[in-house]
Amino acid sequence: MMKATNGGAPLLEVRNLRRFFPIRKGLLRRVVGQVRAVDDISFHINRGETLSLVGESGCGKTTTARCILRALKPTAGEVRFQTAAGAVVDTANLPKTALKPFRHQMQMIFQDPFSSLNPRMTVFDIIAEPLLASGMKDRDERRRRVENLLELVRLRPEFMGRFPHAFSGGQRQRIGIARALALNPSLIVADEPVSALDVSVQAQILNLMLDLQDELGLTYLFVAHDLSVVKHISDRVAVMYVGKIVEIAETKQLFNAPSHPYTEALLSAVPKPDPRLRSERIVLKGEVADPAQPPSGCYFHPRCAYAIDRCRTETPPLEEIRPGHVVACHRAREIELKGVEAQRAV
Amino acid sequence: MNSAPILTVDNLKTYFFTDEGTVKAVDGASFAVQAGKTVGIVGESGCGKSVTALSILRIIQRPGRIIDGEILLRRVDGAGKSSEVDLARLDPEGGEIRAIRGGEIALVFQEPMTSFSPHYTIGNQIIETIQLHQDISKAEARNRSIELLRMVGIPRPERRIDEYPFELSGGLRQRVMIAMALSCNPRILIADEPTTALDVTTQAQILDLLREIQERTRMSVIIITHDMGVIAEMADDVIVMYLGRVVESGPVDEIFHQPKHPYTQALLRSIPSIFAEPRSKLPTIAGSIPHPHNRPSGCPFHPRCNERMAGLCDVYAPRLLPIGERQMASCFLYHEPEEAPQA
Ligand SMILES: Nc1ncnc2c1ncn2[C@@H]1O[C@H](COP(=O)(O)OP(=O)(O)OP(=O)(O)O)[C@@H](O)[C@H]1O
Ligand SMILES: Nc1ncnc2c1ncn2[C@@H]1O[C@H](COP(=O)(O)OP(=O)(O)O)[C@@H](O)[C@H]1O
Ligand code: SF4
Ligand code: SF4
Ligand SMILES: [Mg+2]
Ligand SMILES: [Mg+2]
Repeated sequence: MMKATNGGAPLLEVRNLRRFFPIRKGLLRRVVGQVRAVDDISFHINRGETLSLVGESGCGKTTTARCILRALKPTAGEVRFQTAAGAVVDTANLPKTALKPFRHQMQMIFQDPFSSLNPRMTVFDIIAEPLLASGMKDRDERRRRVENLLELVRLRPEFMGRFPHAFSGGQRQRIGIARALALNPSLIVADEPVSALDVSVQAQILNLMLDLQDELGLTYLFVAHDLSVVKHISDRVAVMYVGKIVEIAETKQLFNAPSHPYTEALLSAVPKPDPRLRSERIVLKGEVADPAQPPSGCYFHPRCAYAIDRCRTETPPLEEIRPGHVVACHRAREIELKGVEAQRAV
Repeated sequence: MNSAPILTVDNLKTYFFTDEGTVKAVDGASFAVQAGKTVGIVGESGCGKSVTALSILRIIQRPGRIIDGEILLRRVDGAGKSSEVDLARLDPEGGEIRAIRGGEIALVFQEPMTSFSPHYTIGNQIIETIQLHQDISKAEARNRSIELLRMVGIPRPERRIDEYPFELSGGLRQRVMIAMALSCNPRILIADEPTTALDVTTQAQILDLLREIQERTRMSVIIITHDMGVIAEMADDVIVMYLGRVVESGPVDEIFHQPKHPYTQALLRSIPSIFAEPRSKLPTIAGSIPHPHNRPSGCPFHPRCNERMAGLCDVYAPRLLPIGERQMASCFLYHEPEEAPQA
């Protein structure tokens, strides 16, 4: 696997990314507030690794992913991407036209394999479309490339004349992956790629993604809310809460020794597939804060069992508490939290 | 062991007669629900979980129809005498099933938004349900509704009762749904994927709520889910379904620690685990769930089964039969075929 970094620069570095959505009211559609969907987040992804972004619905995962792909223009911040030529570009601040030469180096895999493929196009046309758009004029050449891509995702090339409806959910997700790989991207952004699939098919797609990463040296940003899936696929994990990153760590570290109370609660809430592990779970009170009116201080304080006075007024900065482990909690160094292994031991 | 079950489903068959052919959505399902216990029905999409629930309540829409089987609901009267009614035989439009629906047996769905009318406040909808089954005044019904909302953990229920469904979050809507289901003190609550649309933290709250209510009311719960984790947390007894059939059933500990059917075994191996090594491969089940119009012959799992025996599994259909005292499975690894080849 190509874990080595090119001259030390990560493939992707996100700095102080913000994306706000205006809230408009009344006849004049006046702006009366802002949804702080992504609120000053920073992280990096090394070449060949998988970083997962986890958190509850509405915490800003998809918005982050769309900003990175520049499907959305960030409100502020930088998205520094290392191109195939080795240059570092800030895709957040380039004009759209200047993005064109390396846009294909970042590709997306979608959640819903049923709506993301055009039902009126054959598999060949779906996968060959980006090839044609990038200037591959020779149909035979495209055919060979599509054959290649289908083999890569373990589908039979004979299927390329068929339409999407003839395929199961898992097969459609493979077609979506083949299309995403058509132009040899270095970064794949996968937004909930297995959550619409049947349990027995999820494993097939996760294994495929791991294999492809090894074979092609791909880098993944993996967006998901299912922590068990995330445990299987990730090298590192970033936890988001109401538009902010609250913790980033190497996968095992995060699951076994979380340092943010929200991470601890999230891990505890996952139903464990073993009836002998029914035990006391941490059940968070109340609901996720509204990103249009986040609480003062630490956004998590109204639900946090460890909150102290300071948490109500002061926003905790994201700090490195040990190499590679960053946390945004005033008390990260003094509180002892439970990871999943500790729950298994109960 | 347990006394007589409160609900017994025996060889239930519910088919849909569509233009493209017959969908055998439920094709001979059998299981029992004990008083005060939770039965978990687990299986992948399309295996017939929801159709089973809808069949029990007799709300299968055309072109669907129960074509065979019994759904026995047992009642005990004041004198301790028990009687049974076969729900499968009732007129689905008749008064008897209407009284049972939402009265003795209540249902909670996956998507609470679609089960409420957007035009009425949640209070109006709960009050209406209560007055449908109980002869009490509107004011009394309103008070009872507020109590129910409080019981399911809705903050400031006196105010919330006059809100519309869209004003509530997904988690709160699911709580209201549960409050409505509980409004007539059901003996059986059927919860069809009650937490599938929710985040894990909200899911934990709702599962806790269901458990707490069950402890208090001693009602029976049928929880339907595709999530083995939810089953492990909630169920006393488990039914595993595949393509309209029950392939295995038994107490929750046996299902997770001594699964008998190759499908149950494969499913348990293939689910991503929070205890896994990062970047580890998962064992997989080959292929995918067949299209309902192309049901395999013989054992419905045979095209994907590692243990299939040629000439047997693809020809004969295994029946759900006991293995040991508490478990049942439909698989020729444990039983001999006893019927003629399936047409
Ligand atoms: N186009 C938009 N206009 C206004 N608000 C938006 C828009 N897109 C997203 N939001 C808001 O931004 C916040 C973050 O949304 P986002 O879709 O990124 O969440 P997510 O983490 O991907 O959630 P999920 O797990 O449900 O997919 C939410 O409060 C959402 O309602
Ligand atoms: N109204 C309907 N018309 C035709 N087929 C149906 C209908 N409702 C359900 N089915 C079919 O019945 C089978 C079982 O469905 P269901 O019980 O909803 O599955 P699940 O286990 O996911 O709840 C599926 O093949 C489904 O497509
Ligand atoms: S800063 Fe305070 S409120 Fe926020 S997570 Fe840490 S202890 Fe809890
Ligand atoms: S009957 Fe045969 S094909 Fe079916 S589960 Fe048993 S061994 Fe597998
Ligand atoms: Mg999203
Ligand atoms: Mg269903």
